[in-house]
Amino acid sequence: MSQIGAPTHDPIPIGSISQAPFVRLPDPGTLFASRAKRLRALAPGHGLGAYLSFLADLSEVQHAIQDGLPAVELPTPDALVRAHEHAMPPIDRGRFTGDAAYDATWTRLLAAAEDIAMPEAARAALTRVREADAARQAGMVADVLADAVAVEAMAEHVFTAAALQVHFARLAAGLDAARLVAVGDGVCPCCGGPPVSSVVVGWIGAHGARFCACSLCGTLWNMVRITCTVCGSNKSIAYQEVEGSGGTVKAETCDACHAYVKVMHQTKDPSLDPVADDIASLALDLLVREAGYRRGAVNPFLLGY
Amino acid sequence: MNMELSRRQFLAGSGAGLAGTTIAALGFGDVESAHAVSIRPFKLAQTKEARSTCPYCAVSCGMVIFSAQSKSAPGKMEIVHIEGDADHPVNRGTLCPKGSAALDYIRSETRVKYPMYRKPGANKFERVSWDFAMERIAKLMKDDRDQNFIEKNNDGTTVNRWTTMAFLSGSSCTNETGWLTWKVARGLGLLQLENQARI
Repeated sequence: MSQIGAPTHDPIPIGSISQAPFVRLPDPGTLFASRAKRLRALAPGHGLGAYLSFLADLSEVQHAIQDGLPAVELPTPDALVRAHEHAMPPIDRGRFTGDAAYDATWTRLLAAAEDIAMPEAARAALTRVREADAARQAGMVADVLADAVAVEAMAEHVFTAAALQVHFARLAAGLDAARLVAVGDGVCPCCGGPPVSSVVVGWIGAHGARFCACSLCGTLWNMVRITCTVCGSNKSIAYQEVEGSGGTVKAETCDACHAYVKVMHQTKDPSLDPVADDIASLALDLLVREAGYRRGAVNPFLLGY
Repeated sequence: MNMELSRRQFLAGSGAGLAGTTIAALGFGDVESAHAVSIRPFKLAQTKEARSTCPYCAVSCGMVIFSAQSKSAPGKMEIVHIEGDADHPVNRGTLCPKGSAALDYIRSETRVKYPMYRKPGANKFERVSWDFAMERIAKLMKDDRDQNFIEKNNDGTTVNRWTTMAFLSGSSCTNETGWLTWKVARGLGLLQLENQARI
């Protein structure tokens, strides 16, 4: 039957509001390249420009060495089932031992890092790392994975951490995101690591949702906003920014545990990188520290704050 | 996060400051110190974010309300922005045009913040106490109920109706408030009960 005069419309797809994914696994093929690009863009005119340029070179090395690396050894199916059943991170960083893939990553990264322009102290550290015996190397790996880096050997650990980031990003990328479960507040569901910062993303289907970024494997996992990523409290959260900075990077301070972790608002600036901008916003750390808060985030390139 | 704490203690024990940082250890210490000096003139600005529920309709969308230091009243915070709560299961960060414009509703000069009373014959409202408002409403309701309560219908059946009064409840009320509303209204014999809970 024809309808005269009355316009007809296709039904609007009501009820299809999308839910933010629980995790976004890292893509090691782009993770370090885009971080290098961001560091490169931040460096000119920045107070820490020289350091940011050094890290840009290091990130480029992290990207470039991946071609032709041996395949990573993923956790066994048994271990994956057990991790899922007991809400544990499937990648067990406490019992990590080097395999062929990690050894190749390590060797290549140190060799490639030789070509980076760096101060004498960094070059001396790199030489010490390259000359370290197997036991010392394993010790440094264990220290980085336990987030307990010795103060007297911080520079050496930077190169170890860079190699581990590549290896763990490749490991995490091989997991099945649908089988991952929340393992705790502020704990990476892939490797159990602490966050380096969190990002409020502008992705289609997850606009405005907040994701914590793992300091080791680069996994992004969803976490409720206005909640402390260190202690999980939502009682007394405030946001601190450097006056006049536009509010793209804020410190999420918690009066329950007196810690803070930065929040990057990618909805305001999509180029923000959870690691690069954490370092570039060191001014915020210095000011927030004076206000009596301690840094709750772990960034192997920014230890000591 | 015990891991993070142990690391902190370790660093604190070593006299951490600018000397005990990754940046300094890599030989960028002079850059780091210069940067630390250069940021001294800068100050922190504090903002807050709070969760709330949209007051407009029974969908009860989650809102995040942003506040910052007030420019007009120093030392006070003022609401500067409202957006949908991306973590809320009802609306997942979305808001309708009315909800999105709730900032104007909050700042509206005609917003009612206190119980207001206009005396019979007066031409303006005046602020009164909650006790006064409650007593006044209760008195008027009782008078009306005494006058118009229907105990039995024409057939002599007990009906206990009070048809001259209606009860309007809030759209964002919780289940518990809804239960109380029902008990109070039906207990009085009210038939016209509106909860806006039909969406």
